[in-house]
Amino acid sequence: MTGGKLKDEVVRTTIRAEDDWEPIGPTPMPSVTDLRNWDLRLLDSYEPFYAPFCDLCCLCTYGKCDLTADRKGACGLDMASQQARMILLKCLMGTAAHGAHARHMVDFLIEKYGPEHPIDLGGQVNVESPIIRTVLGLKPQTLADLRKAVEYVEGEVIHLLSATHTGQEGDHRDFESKAFHAGMIDHVALEAADIAQIVGFGYPTSVADTPLVEIGWGAIDKTRPVIVVIGHNAITSNAIVDYLKEKGLYDKVEVAGICCTALDVTRYASFAKVVGPLSQQRFFLKTGIADVIVTDEQCVLTDIPDLAKQTGSALIACSDKICYGLPNRSEEEVEAVLAHVLEEGEGVLLLDPKKAAEVAVKAALALAPRRDKSLLSTEDAAKLAAKCRGTCELCNQACPNLLTVSVAVNAMRQGDPAPIGRLFLRCIGCGACEQACPHHIPVQRLMQAGAVQEKYKLRSGRGPIHDVEIRKVGSPIVLGTIPGVVLFAGCSNFPEDIDDVAWLAEELARRKYIVTLSGCSAMAAAMRKDAEGKTIYEKYTPEFDAGCIVNVGSCVANAHVVGAAIKIANIFACLPNRANFELMADYILNRVGACGVVWGPYSQKALTIGTGAVRWGIPVVLGPHGSKYSRLFMSKKEHGDWRVMDGRTRQLVDTGEPTPEHMMITVESKERALLTIIKQCFRRNDTPPGRAIKLNSYISVAKQVLNSLPDDLQNFVRTERDIPIVYKREVLAYLKEVGWQPKPTLSLPTVIGTYETRVPIEATVKELPKK
Amino acid sequence: MAAEVLTTPYYRVNVLTGTRAARVVDDPAEAARIVAGAKNPLYVLGPDAVRLSAGDKLLIDYALDIAAARDMPICATAHVKRKLVEYGKKPDSTYDIIEIVHFLKMPDWKGVRGEGQHDLVLFSGVRCDLAERGLSTLKHFAPHLRTFAICRRGHPNADYTVPVTARGDRWTEYLQGLVAALG
Ligand code: SF4
Ligand code: SF4
Ligand code: SF4
Repeated sequence: MTGGKLKDEVVRTTIRAEDDWEPIGPTPMPSVTDLRNWDLRLLDSYEPFYAPFCDLCCLCTYGKCDLTADRKGACGLDMASQQARMILLKCLMGTAAHGAHARHMVDFLIEKYGPEHPIDLGGQVNVESPIIRTVLGLKPQTLADLRKAVEYVEGEVIHLLSATHTGQEGDHRDFESKAFHAGMIDHVALEAADIAQIVGFGYPTSVADTPLVEIGWGAIDKTRPVIVVIGHNAITSNAIVDYLKEKGLYDKVEVAGICCTALDVTRYASFAKVVGPLSQQRFFLKTGIADVIVTDEQCVLTDIPDLAKQTGSALIACSDKICYGLPNRSEEEVEAVLAHVLEEGEGVLLLDPKKAAEVAVKAALALAPRRDKSLLSTEDAAKLAAKCRGTCELCNQACPNLLTVSVAVNAMRQGDPAPIGRLFLRCIGCGACEQACPHHIPVQRLMQAGAVQEKYKLRSGRGPIHDVEIRKVGSPIVLGTIPGVVLFAGCSNFPEDIDDVAWLAEELARRKYIVTLSGCSAMAAAMRKDAEGKTIYEKYTPEFDAGCIVNVGSCVANAHVVGAAIKIANIFACLPNRANFELMADYILNRVGACGVVWGPYSQKALTIGTGAVRWGIPVVLGPHGSKYSRLFMSKKEHGDWRVMDGRTRQLVDTGEPTPEHMMITVESKERALLTIIKQCFRRNDTPPGRAIKLNSYISVAKQVLNSLPDDLQNFVRTERDIPIVYKREVLAYLKEVGWQPKPTLSLPTVIGTYETRVPIEATVKELPKK
Repeated sequence: MAAEVLTTPYYRVNVLTGTRAARVVDDPAEAARIVAGAKNPLYVLGPDAVRLSAGDKLLIDYALDIAAARDMPICATAHVKRKLVEYGKKPDSTYDIIEIVHFLKMPDWKGVRGEGQHDLVLFSGVRCDLAERGLSTLKHFAPHLRTFAICRRGHPNADYTVPVTARGDRWTEYLQGLVAALG
């Protein structure tokens, strides 16, 4: 619902309109339809592509409705709209997960420090919250301001969710516009959550060189009591760290994490360790190395009570999102809770972080000496595999990663653990093979015998990109001479080896891209060593600069990479960002060569983060499992309409250049991914020297993976000045062969002016006073 | 008797949740008739075609024989072109898998050789979960063409599929039979 005096008043109060840090742009705290024209403009160039996962709809009792091909449901929805509706629903799951996380974090810290606790991200970060500033028009100064941002997200979620009810939205493009909105507000929640935890827990900020921490299941010292924290919300994990420090026990008890809680607890205390990403959760819990399992929220296996029972690990659930049917003992005394845990083997729900921390540590100390944590030997593994002949292949058929499990199990039967060790590196940890096996062979336990107990170094998450870094790289990024900023985000549903992310990151870093990572991808990227035993985090400088590699942190820290793109427009180009979403997104789309990569997508959260990135003008490349999200955004490549405005001449120009080529695409192999990521960093604004640098990477990778020049080179060479010198002769000959014609160049490419918007085209050139 | 359809392929992740399933083409001679009956077919090759063997050849070797038998254009997705270059061949298109599917669903697209939209599309060597998604797109949004999954794991969302073929020797026989029948 746009406009209305009452709403305007609420908005002006919320964002403190009288604050004069920047003039208020056209869309403060946008509602569902306020950015719709921008969305539809994007969708004109990048059509939604649907690959239905299910041909039916069973959301209301008119159904089940068969929507195959041109059929419609009883409510009138066709297949495209139903796909888009499910996408919106999935995105909202992601937004809600991050929004609730942010709400919990902010409320917890307000409870602890009061609402006026200041937002101070250190001397290197003045533009503290580029997303909140742009979307809401609010410059948050306190925790209470972050709460306002979260409240805005909560309010929008209700409207968006309402649109998914039967008999509401009916057009697939409008569903996608709403999904974009869900993605954008998701980023608000991410930023609020990470800023809150940085200022509340004193996580690193304004430093690049964060500590190197240990990662890998081999890093966990099982001779000590081991507490394993799982999830994304490190409030309880940090309380465990506090308790250990307070009692002088931090060198006597292992605190190890899985998923983003692991990344965040290592931002709090570098003695904490990371087991690995989500894909290793089930495997690791089955080893029984954890004396105590502490769960918080998101990406936590939902059958942990069963797993804990099998291994005799104690279980403490700490989030109202995951209660597991456990008794809530939050009000009881620590000793009483311990009695339940230790004497009755009961899993407990403890919503008081301090109490949970004390119980976790005491339970780990008490349990560790009595538990047998020996791993499965090769001999015992062979015995467990004895009934397999490798012929029934039911495990292979069940494997969602299409792995040949049977070969590995059969080798194990014959006493060879190497194949199952290799399987471990590709396993996404679902357990489906074990369920399918008629002999109940515990495949994931067998992996204990084959998986190398390796440990690696991971640089702990550094949080926001510094303003001074933006000032340094802004110009080369916009000119194209730094060929791109790539973010590897998201989950560990990798199609092949877990360390392929490291390969991709390194291929880009050595070609002088700025490589950033977060979440499970940041962890997986640590799991490859070079000949000298070094990981990419040890080899590359942790700065936001050409050829550097930065771990920004957990999933919520993804906000800082989107934030960096906004800051380029705001700090470097001096465009106002306050309540100016379209201006920022247009700048990013046309001038900031950024690309998001989710090589192992699984969660709804990753979908919403990616969808939000697209609204900001950042293209996204997904690994093959991403096709199961069932929606991509694809252009018609060289056959599309690539007319944009020249902001200075105010002329409509047919660039004939498909850049960025697609806004969301799935690719199958890591080789093609590398080629695609490089291409997705091309921007219309690239200067000839910048484009030549980008094309140099593109051509060199094409030669590496295709053994030829790229077949679409003609689409991206605008004039001969774009051709990299080393390939000049070869490229000119090719261009002649395919009948290439030069394309027009623009002084300031923008899509503002090509659709109905309240942003005047002058705004694309108007500058803030230089700070 | 109604032709057999495939709802549960080798990979359970690709089980059909719908009502329109692929017709199983058991007999390579019938497969050849379907291919031969197409006016403007296309063969889409994925990277498993250069990774997986069928007997003592690579899957791509059979695919190239099938394509050659009908002068069928080839779309080499992912990094398949590398192998073709090694063989001294030039693919008609190197659109990636999702790109080619995207264009195939446009009724007025001119096809990889500019001769008009294709009427039959063969797929081999595309990772099975990804292939199934692309076939789903075409099933729902490309009524103007038919798809044929030349894949031993079976694809319910295709119009025609090779049956699930557990035994490697049977798979090789199928491919050889298809090449021979196309003559
Ligand atoms: S929501 Fe619509 S398509 Fe779905 S079951 Fe109900 S009537 Fe059918
Ligand atoms: S646990 Fe691993 S090997 Fe087993 S089915 Fe799942 S992904 Fe495949
Ligand atoms: S399902 Fe069990 S018995 Fe069959 S091949 Fe797999 S591991 Fe062996």
